[in-house]
Amino acid sequence: MSLLTIRNLSVRYPGAATQAVRDASFTLEAGGSLGIVGESGSGKSSIAGAILNFLGADTRIDGQILFEGTDLVPMPARQRRPILGRRIGSVFQDPFTALNPALRIGAQIAEPMIRHLRMPKPEAAARAVALLHDMGMQRPAEVAQAFPHQLSGGMKQRALIAAALACDPPLLILDEPTTALDVTVEAQILQLLARLREQKRIALLFISHNLGIVRKLCDNVAVMYASQLVELGDARRVLDRPLHPYSKGLLASRPPLEAASRGSRLPSIPGQMPQYPAPEQGCVFLARCAFADPASGCATPQSLATAEDGHAVRCWQANRLGPWPRLREMLSHGPTFTAGDALLNITDLRKSYAGGRSWQLGWKRGPVLRRRAAQVPAVNGISLSVSPGEVLGLVGESGCGKSTTGRLALRLTEPSGGSVEFDGADLALMAPATLQAFRRQAQIVFQNVGSSLNPRLSVGEALERPLALFDLVPAEQRRARVEELLEMVRLPRDYRTRYPHQLSGGERQRVAIARALATEPRFVVCDEPVSALDVSVQAAIVNLLADLRDRFGLAYLFISHDLAVVAQLSDRIAVMYRGTICETGPAAEVLRPPWHPYTRMLLDAVAEEIDPAVEPPAPQAAHGSGGCVFAARCPHHLGAICDREAPPLKPMGGGLSIACHLDLPPVAPVRNSTSPDAVTVR
Amino acid sequence: MAIYVLRRLGAVLATLVVMSLLVFLSTHALPSNTAALILGQYSTPETRAALEHKLGLDLPLTVQYWRWASALLQGDLGASLVMERPVAPMLWDAFGRSALLAGCTMAVVSTVGVGMGIVAAVWRGRWPDHGISMFAYAGISVPEFYWGLVLILVFGSTFHLFPTSGAATLADGFGTMVAHLVLPVVTLTLTLLAHVSRLTRSSMLEVLDSMYVRVARARGFPERVVILRHALRNALLPAITILAQDFGFLIGGIVAVEAIFAYPGLGRLLIFSLERQDLPLMQAAILVLTAVYCLANLGADLLYGVANPRIRYAGAVE
Repeated sequence: MSLLTIRNLSVRYPGAATQAVRDASFTLEAGGSLGIVGESGSGKSSIAGAILNFLGADTRIDGQILFEGTDLVPMPARQRRPILGRRIGSVFQDPFTALNPALRIGAQIAEPMIRHLRMPKPEAAARAVALLHDMGMQRPAEVAQAFPHQLSGGMKQRALIAAALACDPPLLILDEPTTALDVTVEAQILQLLARLREQKRIALLFISHNLGIVRKLCDNVAVMYASQLVELGDARRVLDRPLHPYSKGLLASRPPLEAASRGSRLPSIPGQMPQYPAPEQGCVFLARCAFADPASGCATPQSLATAEDGHAVRCWQANRLGPWPRLREMLSHGPTFTAGDALLNITDLRKSYAGGRSWQLGWKRGPVLRRRAAQVPAVNGISLSVSPGEVLGLVGESGCGKSTTGRLALRLTEPSGGSVEFDGADLALMAPATLQAFRRQAQIVFQNVGSSLNPRLSVGEALERPLALFDLVPAEQRRARVEELLEMVRLPRDYRTRYPHQLSGGERQRVAIARALATEPRFVVCDEPVSALDVSVQAAIVNLLADLRDRFGLAYLFISHDLAVVAQLSDRIAVMYRGTICETGPAAEVLRPPWHPYTRMLLDAVAEEIDPAVEPPAPQAAHGSGGCVFAARCPHHLGAICDREAPPLKPMGGGLSIACHLDLPPVAPVRNSTSPDAVTVR
Repeated sequence: MAIYVLRRLGAVLATLVVMSLLVFLSTHALPSNTAALILGQYSTPETRAALEHKLGLDLPLTVQYWRWASALLQGDLGASLVMERPVAPMLWDAFGRSALLAGCTMAVVSTVGVGMGIVAAVWRGRWPDHGISMFAYAGISVPEFYWGLVLILVFGSTFHLFPTSGAATLADGFGTMVAHLVLPVVTLTLTLLAHVSRLTRSSMLEVLDSMYVRVARARGFPERVVILRHALRNALLPAITILAQDFGFLIGGIVAVEAIFAYPGLGRLLIFSLERQDLPLMQAAILVLTAVYCLANLGADLLYGVANPRIRYAGAVE
């Protein structure tokens, strides 16, 4: 008997035109692991919802969910409760909201044991501390006494996993458990999960949009598209040699972790997932498929059939398809930017924010009680430059100050020190009229496509605003210019009349890019422009940004936490950690040795394999101010010098600079250039 | 936290000083003559001037304020002009009775209002929700003096269930005391329920939709535990703030309700002093009401701090 057998599961939300999950069947053996991958809206989380019973009473669930031989679907909520929490643990995406802010961590972990196992409170509390220790927490007793807001995101997720495992369940359901976390923290959580799986023989049902993670952690994988399972089988085999066109496209559109040439573009899947898929009228992927052949079998309903490789594929021609088509490499016209005069020059830039305030007794012609605000540095003396037509990638984890740098570069916020020069003129000294002229030439695209467009303005109105504001186009020609802008970002002209809520995430980001381009800028800050988008859409937007760069000679400050995306687009990369630049140089050099220990950590975090035996390095004791900012987390910590002295950026050859006390080897000469038109650097 | 409390206390003191100034100045702006009031209709300009001099009323306003305020700080609230008795004992008796009325009302409003909010949120969109919101809106849309009259008519005059006027003390028996409180408390409650119940409902709905409530459900906890332990604790925080605001409405309501039910409290004393232009009594009553309001808000802020672990425990655990 399998631990979990899903048979013909269908989910339809109240009032929905189509099913969110359609006829899904799979099994999960005890101790096994199954990853369900798919883009947002594919229905993968609805499967978890159906098992965990949180879809609401009005949602229609058909089929069977056999857990340890019992069907959960017809079971009333009251009977299902002893199974949930006790036999099935669950961990959700956002650790920041999944813990109850009013209860102590220890109490939240102990509660399942008290309620399900009738464990006495002191015993449950002691076991909660032991569980926290199992999760790799440094001071579990202290953490158990803390409230959620006192913990970091990674610690919160560990606490949630501890609570999910409190009753030793044979099945753990994880719905995007690391999506909200930084890559290095994500790597630690994945390692923890791999270790727990091995030690406790827990079966994992792992839901994620991230193919790499699923490949690392799961034996089997199910790929979902538009409410259906389209491919199901051994994780390595499916993800290394996918058979369904959607799986092929999805894997191909992941940017590789290597510097790309200016002419290369990511393969992408055109279009978007249908909102109301109708599989009875033919393949749901037909409209986006590179191998579509509507004249033949594609127009009939597709069924899951076992393919040559032994896994199930929902495509009639699965056995005879080649790889997803790569885009023809564009003419390599080499770097279009000229080394020399920088367009943007950032020198020793600083920005501090007022932190917690405290009362201090001071002396100023007598004792005075004054309020002192602690200054928290967000950007701590960084220097960068961007040439005309050049893309500088700025990469780092959340809170490292990369977005603040982007805002400072446009003087959207005032620096506490240092200078930003655009075209030789200091932003801080600009008169209002000059500043206005600068604003026209320097634009920004934000991460959050949901909130960066005004919901009450149509696309046309949003695009006309900058035209009117800078008085660029006479009123009667604005409509034509708007249509031209829409075409530039490859949206249909009639999108002019649409409102943001009528657009998909990718389309909204295209509108935001069009709005930034409306003023014909020379420099655009792209602040995590693709982080909120699905992989296939992300590839299309990255390609669009590359095309626009080449077409208009745009310079970008491309900010992202994703090293692979940054590498795809950037000529040079700067790695940022806690307000300082720890490594900077040409993209290809940053990605190959020598590395700053932090760059190394970022690269390791997205490596293909995880070794459950390796323990993440324990953070060192908190360092005093003045030392290397990375000292506390550095696995190669040298001792006193790292805590005492901030390392300066040292040139390593080949344009690479690294700020580290370690005696790193110089850059090795390039034997066989990976990118023929690799950008030469000043 | 200690610094926070001190700072808030300082703010309350500052408010009281400003209020004492305002009260003092506004009562002096009234078109009445204290000396004429005391001496009655047979006073002559000479006798009035003599009395004014004796009372210090001919001194500059600043000096008068100083005398009044320093007496106030020594606990001397002055003497009533009309009743010719010291204000303080009168005021404290009335204050005690009003505090009883207000305390009972707040207790009923907070328990019933929060309870109604929970029920409405849990049965969202179904008849308990609609019923509760209709009841709450009916309560707030009709002024308290109207509810007072209706209640007197129904429960007092028609069914003779509760006394409709006056107050009783413990000496008259606990039952009698409570019976005298019922109608005024119900009247005040009716007008205050809407705020608390609607706010609890909406914050409860928000919390019930939160991730941690979903997590609690996914852990298989009974619905009662999910609602009372996991949701309510977080939903109550905004209710604390709104209850403090309601205290202001309550003070206004008490003045009206005490008049209707002839309840000898602070509100009635205030109306009496206004009608008879009894300046010292008026000043003292207004000041006491202001102080009570400030302290109620301070209490709510402190309670909020104690109930919210984010304020209580600010530091991070590494």
